[in-house]
Amino acid sequence: MTRSQFETGSLGNLRVHVYPSKKFKTTTLSILLQQQLSPGFVTKDALLSSVLQRGTQSYPNTLDLKRKLADLYGAILFGDVYKRGERHIIQFGLEMANEQYLQSQESLLKKGISFLIEVLTKPATENNGFRKEYIEQEKAILKQKIDSLQDDKIRFAAQRSIEEMCANEPYALFNYGRLSDIPEINEQNLYTYFQEVVTSCRIDIYCVGNVSSSHLIEILEQLLPPEIIKAERKEIPFSQEATAKNEVKVVVDRLNVKQGKLNMGCRTHTTVRDHDYPALLLYNGILGGFPHSKLFMNVREKASLAYYASSGIESHKGILTIQSGIEIDNYEKAVAIIKEQLQAMREGDITETEIEQTKATLTNQFREQQDSPYNLIQFHYHSILSGKQWTLTDLLQQIEQVEKADIQRVAEKIQLDTIYFLRDQGGDPHAKN
Amino acid sequence: MQKIEHRQVQESLYYERLPNGLEVYVLPKEGFSKTYATFTTQYGSIDNAFQVKGKEKMVVPDGIAHFLEHKMFEQESGEDVFQTFSRQGASANAFTGFTRTAYLFSCTSNVERNLETLLDFVQSPYFTDENVEKEKGIIGQEIRMYDDNPDWRVYFGLIEAFYQNHPVKIDIAGTIDSITQITKEMLYLCYHTFYHPSNMLLFVVGSVDPEKVVEQVRNNQAKKSFAEQAEILRFVPDEPDQVGERRKEIQLSVGIPKCMFGFKESQQALGKSGQSMFEQELATKICLEALLGSDSELYQSLYNEGLIDENFGLDYALEKGYGHSIIGGDTSNPEKLLARIQEELPKRVKQGISATDFERIRKKRIGSSLRMFNYLEWIANQFTGYRFNGIDLFQMIPTLEQITLEQVNQRMREHINWDRFAVSLVTSHL
Repeated sequence: MTRSQFETGSLGNLRVHVYPSKKFKTTTLSILLQQQLSPGFVTKDALLSSVLQRGTQSYPNTLDLKRKLADLYGAILFGDVYKRGERHIIQFGLEMANEQYLQSQESLLKKGISFLIEVLTKPATENNGFRKEYIEQEKAILKQKIDSLQDDKIRFAAQRSIEEMCANEPYALFNYGRLSDIPEINEQNLYTYFQEVVTSCRIDIYCVGNVSSSHLIEILEQLLPPEIIKAERKEIPFSQEATAKNEVKVVVDRLNVKQGKLNMGCRTHTTVRDHDYPALLLYNGILGGFPHSKLFMNVREKASLAYYASSGIESHKGILTIQSGIEIDNYEKAVAIIKEQLQAMREGDITETEIEQTKATLTNQFREQQDSPYNLIQFHYHSILSGKQWTLTDLLQQIEQVEKADIQRVAEKIQLDTIYFLRDQGGDPHAKN
Repeated sequence: MQKIEHRQVQESLYYERLPNGLEVYVLPKEGFSKTYATFTTQYGSIDNAFQVKGKEKMVVPDGIAHFLEHKMFEQESGEDVFQTFSRQGASANAFTGFTRTAYLFSCTSNVERNLETLLDFVQSPYFTDENVEKEKGIIGQEIRMYDDNPDWRVYFGLIEAFYQNHPVKIDIAGTIDSITQITKEMLYLCYHTFYHPSNMLLFVVGSVDPEKVVEQVRNNQAKKSFAEQAEILRFVPDEPDQVGERRKEIQLSVGIPKCMFGFKESQQALGKSGQSMFEQELATKICLEALLGSDSELYQSLYNEGLIDENFGLDYALEKGYGHSIIGGDTSNPEKLLARIQEELPKRVKQGISATDFERIRKKRIGSSLRMFNYLEWIANQFTGYRFNGIDLFQMIPTLEQITLEQVNQRMREHINWDRFAVSLVTSHL
């Protein structure tokens, strides 16, 4: 039964993807809903992902719900929200032990699926709304989550630089939403929103484990309410391409920090849907994806300016980000070295060794993902969201075929948009560095 | 080569101890694409005063084990070993902890070449005055990064509060001042003391043939000569039972305060190894989870009162020379949280843990241990850490199945001692 691919089936308007495999000691289920990333929804989505974990009709009490999970041999329930371009993904999932390894005869699988579906479709309610108590508590927790963004300076700088770079685009939104929306949300309007989401957002159901596709669909059909199966679901458009800025935007934030965080954002004008996507993967790998990359070698190893200096891409929105932690006084030096690397990429100052190393490490990175249920799901969902359903084999083959000229073509499209610096309170507060 | 079967988790482990003392373990994982290997020395940040029998006693600067880890990637050829691994399609890394330093790679092809590279680079140090100086800037930025990280600061603050003398209270990376003193001669001295094969363990897990791996390592090691190593003496000052400070507080620019607290083990509860140490660790973890875990009554009340969030966690660390529990996370009101803990915990300790709670938590831990066997990194790192303490990771589920409620309640009464309680806080600037 082990086949190294997802089998996609459908149940009404729901897509069901199953990866039958015996190699894991657990079964992982994940339900992914797509919402448009927009100011009107973002905070509600974040709140929904936590409120639904508070209680269901069978287990209205949070403590009972958690004890039920412990009873399923410590099954893990998770719910979260994240961005993929200008789509907001609401995710719920359950990972549970495969009963074949337990000294127990009970069938965990069906119990687990039934539990997860109840979390998503039958929340604990009162007066035709969510429980007021849960809403109030989760609103306070969400506020705390948003307030705590500044605690992790690496994440804070990453979010702030995107906010500045995409100032008038939905992509600027933080995945947990906005503080200003929280007071308006209540148990009634969130419940109405919840009903809209489960009956109108596109839903993909994933399962990785020792399960066949037909068996899973059969169980789902028994357990899911018919109105969920039949509902018409909307398509969320792919992200908007941003218009280019005429000059690089420079932003400085000040907090009481010892290390400066330098984040530089570029527009790639290449997305996961483009023919150039594999070449973009190589571009990023050569620039800053690995310890053999230009950023690591030049900012860290040669100049000793940083402990970390790397780059990453958001291929749905078309953004490349560069990040490094540096001594505050070394700002100019670090920016200059990073710009030199971007320039070297444009000029085709790329060796055969760099290309070979990057092909080898990228290929390895994608292959390694096959060994984690979560990464398997992420990889497949990434292709679903792109609208181009490739397999791992296709992608690896495309990576192999990329040539230096392709990378240089990508490099020419890449445009520095924003330089963001988080620094201490020193220096001239009005200076733009 | 010895084969050890673990039926419940359906895994077979292969083992051989080579003539030079190196311990080699191989765990084949069917269906996996990846191979993960760690080459670990029993040498960490706490080993700052030592003596090889018959030689002089040494005291070295703080952060040297970590500094040495960074410098191992330098090779005589001038090529950084990261470059070599990249060419061979592997992702390589290393980390330094309190008690060990590990070098590792993961890959989905060229396993044999990558394994050879791992063994060879760790066994051929190349330090120069110039490359040692260059690293000071890089590690300096690593130290700064941690200085600004409130989660690290609150965690480390608690360890500093617990201990009066034990070197576990010294930051793993050292300080900018302490690393300035490091020279290539000191690095060589530490290297030759602690990187002898008899002080090291190799663990390979994934898509491999155990016979072939062991054969390759045997041949690789046979080509190298290592002088016989006398016993290493490690000096640790006496540690009183009392905590160093009951409360430690620092200010950073945070949106939400961080609060961690816990109990330090008494000297009497330390010094075990092997199965009895494992039982102590697991029984303490069960007890903490019963009292304050995510499905305990107390956790749920604190959550409903808005004093903790889902990141509230608990952990218990036990090594030969130190042990402590660490509990906490983000909180909007640290004082109220601490007051509630000090009010509720004694009552629950007095009542004892119920049989129902005990069974539920035991079951949950068995399920989560099983889940961890999906993760090659976890298997290799946990196995090695435990092995250095004479513990067998594969005994985790059987040990959990054997632990009794009495043991857990007994452990709770020993561990939860308010004379050995300490608190660490990170709050925002006023």
